[in-house]
Amino acid sequence: MGAQQETDCAVSTTGLRKSFSIGRKRVEAVCGVNLCVGRGEIFGFLGPNGAGKTTTLRMLATLLQIDEGEAIVAGVDVRRRPGDVRRRIGYVGQLGGADLPATGRENLMLQGRLYGASKAETSRRADELIELLALGDFADRSARTYSGGQRRRLEVALGIMHRPDVLFLDEPTTGLDPQNRANLWDQLRALRSTGTTIFLTTHNLEEADALADRVAIIDHGTVVAEGTPLELKRQIGGGMFVVYTGLPPSEMESLRTALAGLEPISEARVDGAAVRLRTDNGRAAMSAIARVLESRNVPLAALSLSEASLGDVFLQQTGRPLRDAGQNITEISR
Amino acid sequence: MNFATQTQLLFRRKMLELIRQPVWIFAGLASPLLYLALFAPLLGALAGGPGFAGSSVLDVFVPGVVILMAFGAGMGAGWITVAELDSGVLERLTVTPASRFALLLGTVLRDMAWLVIPALLVIVVAVPFGFHPNPAGTAVLLALASLLTAMTSAGSSALGIKLRQIGSLAAVVTGLQLPLMLLSGILLPLSLAPTWLQVLAHFDPMYYAVEASRTLAGGSIVSGTVGVAFLVLGGLTVLSLWWATGVYRKALA
Repeated sequence: MGAQQETDCAVSTTGLRKSFSIGRKRVEAVCGVNLCVGRGEIFGFLGPNGAGKTTTLRMLATLLQIDEGEAIVAGVDVRRRPGDVRRRIGYVGQLGGADLPATGRENLMLQGRLYGASKAETSRRADELIELLALGDFADRSARTYSGGQRRRLEVALGIMHRPDVLFLDEPTTGLDPQNRANLWDQLRALRSTGTTIFLTTHNLEEADALADRVAIIDHGTVVAEGTPLELKRQIGGGMFVVYTGLPPSEMESLRTALAGLEPISEARVDGAAVRLRTDNGRAAMSAIARVLESRNVPLAALSLSEASLGDVFLQQTGRPLRDAGQNITEISR
Repeated sequence: MNFATQTQLLFRRKMLELIRQPVWIFAGLASPLLYLALFAPLLGALAGGPGFAGSSVLDVFVPGVVILMAFGAGMGAGWITVAELDSGVLERLTVTPASRFALLLGTVLRDMAWLVIPALLVIVVAVPFGFHPNPAGTAVLLALASLLTAMTSAGSSALGIKLRQIGSLAAVVTGLQLPLMLLSGILLPLSLAPTWLQVLAHFDPMYYAVEASRTLAGGSIVSGTVGVAFLVLGGLTVLSLWWATGVYRKALA
């Protein structure tokens, strides 16, 4: 890896590996991850639970020892100088990390001062973040009394208290309602505009698509695809037909099989009350689909043509839909 | 950012946390006062008898209660550590440049401070009922008791990190607490015990503390018993802090 590339990456990893012993078994959690997160971008690490997202993030944030490989964060080698990495990064873990008996402001003050800022400076910065993340109404109440969204905002504020170069967020919007999630997205975009690089993990397709400038899809500890959401979706090419029928769930599978057998259809899967079909030839596919439905006497409720989603990318790369990927195999085959 | 400032900030956080949980304060005071109210009167009949010769019953009993408080004051630390692992606070603090030893000391110093205040209260309450503490000896006694608290506080915090579950921590801590207390001679002086029990007591660090506490409350500061107690507890406290810092470093990266 050349010097040029290192300066372009806020986070770069080469052959990153980590394994754990669970009982007598050795589990490879991360198997050779190579990444380059550009400066000032929001980078989404997308994958099902257990794919190795959090493990990778924790290694980059100095919380887990790296077994093998190299990681450079904010220009500093994580294995050699973890202390210097800590000064340059912010980290908001899945658990959050707000100190619940303390008030929001006390949380911020302690955090700022542990990074060595003076009392006056910390106090100014706390006011700034209370304003930026709209914590004003409750900043002087115990964090125990906060709602989920309020607490998450405080935790993000804690993560950026010392103006880190890189902010790591582990599943930042899990458990938030749609409105709070959208608010947090806006706040993260605002943070990016100040030059902070944001590296977040998510298992939510919509989040990766809407928020991330670039996405890496990880499965079983390996990055299977990387690019902007648009690039990734274009890569799989063609279009998606979504066929909504009035069929009971029990008959969906047989319809899927019939449609999957059509020549212009390259892939078919059941998605709730719909069958999603991938095709490279929309026109041929359309009439073929219509013929199948007619011959089987299936009522068509709606038919839509959509561009591929990141879920389709995941399916194409791993052979299974993202929402099932965290579960066991028997679940998927049913 | 220097280590002293970090420690002071983290100690302050822990003290604020304590002050905001009045339940903890009452719970800390309840058991020693109950011992004084409900157990000490039982000893009255033994006054002047074996083990209590020449002194008031409370002169034997109260110093032991202070040592018992010291042990208990530190033993609770692990509960909070487990809660802080669950809420992610410890993880967040370890991603900051804060020293792991400072993190540990925040808890240990809080427990030490929170031993001294109720211990003084118990001593003062016991005086009108016939406890005759020597002031200088009592000061040294509190120092010795603080050492015991530091030892159990660091040990309990580290155990909390290692076990990660309240249930397993409770099993280990209560499993240790009862035999250590029984062997220390807090309830009744071990001079009443058969030889094998007296021998066994020498493996209990609390035994040395209890022996020294009685000597100290009686006013003899420069004595072999006191010296041995400081050596044993000082050594074990250093060991406990060293081990706990290692556990913090390893488990919290």
